[in-house]
Amino acid sequence: MDGDSSTTDASQLGITGEYMAGSHFVLAQAQDDEGDEGLNDHEDGDGSKDNLREQDIYLPIANVARIMKNAIPQTGKIAKDAKECVQECVSEFISFITSEASERCHQEKRKTINGEDILFAMSTLGFDMYVEPLKLYLQKFREAMKGEKGISTVTVTEGMGEELTDETFTNPLPAGIITADGQQQNVMVYTTSYQQIPGVQQLQFS
Amino acid sequence: MSGKNMEEKVEQATDRKNISLPMSRVRLIMKSSPDVSCINQDALFLTTKATELFVQHLALSSYKNGSGKETNTLSYSDLANAAEESETFQFLTDILPKKILAREYLKSLEEMEKVDDNL
Repeated sequence: MDGDSSTTDASQLGITGEYMAGSHFVLAQAQDDEGDEGLNDHEDGDGSKDNLREQDIYLPIANVARIMKNAIPQTGKIAKDAKECVQECVSEFISFITSEASERCHQEKRKTINGEDILFAMSTLGFDMYVEPLKLYLQKFREAMKGEKGISTVTVTEGMGEELTDETFTNPLPAGIITADGQQQNVMVYTTSYQQIPGVQQLQFS
Repeated sequence: MSGKNMEEKVEQATDRKNISLPMSRVRLIMKSSPDVSCINQDALFLTTKATELFVQHLALSSYKNGSGKETNTLSYSDLANAAEESETFQFLTDILPKKILAREYLKSLEEMEKVDDNL
């Protein structure tokens, strides 16, 4: 049992002999406690990151739990500690991919991590089964963004990330497109902040 | 996840929603890695989407492989087992230690102390 990531001092764990006798108490509880402490001031002395270490930033558990639920058979259930655990695994995954991509960036003397870096990192780290589907998703994402650009010349900057939450996709906008053979198609245009877009007739989706 | 299945999943997902995780939070996590300066929009999107795929992948693998078949519940130990047994999820072993009974742990602590005393 490697205990390097948790304290080995039983008194810090708040465990007494009595408490444990005959009980199925699990050691990993200690990790949850340390996680909580990590959100406050921690001894690693790095004040520049608002006292948050990378492993303390998580994605919202509701979103994570929903994705899990949709992935397993409908009759399945998920234990609460499993949800929390996946939440942590997710942050670990993101950091894992990011540092690999970042390293490649540095090697090539570039400052900005781009899509290729991410895909390459995934391939390197054993997630190459994600690469093809991701390329498809990226294509659709770009098309949706391009359409928006045509309407209002919105430049896609990092700030856009702020606006792309669940809510933004609940009101897709229908757009009529007359294609070359005269048929009219209806295409959903995903927008971020406005409801009515007059005059959307000339969109070209390549 | 066969290629054909993924195509269908991509279609389904884009009909409803494109992503279901907040990209801003993903960006925060990415930026907390050392030496990361700028992340372009594609990279952010790909990471977010990959994270969704990862959650699905981890949940389903662990569920299928684990005791969930009897209990119908995905538990922490299913996840810990998946981390240990699958090469893909090996990077998670540090944060997914297998749980042991506390008394076993204390026993091993005592034994370690004995060794230290003898040195």
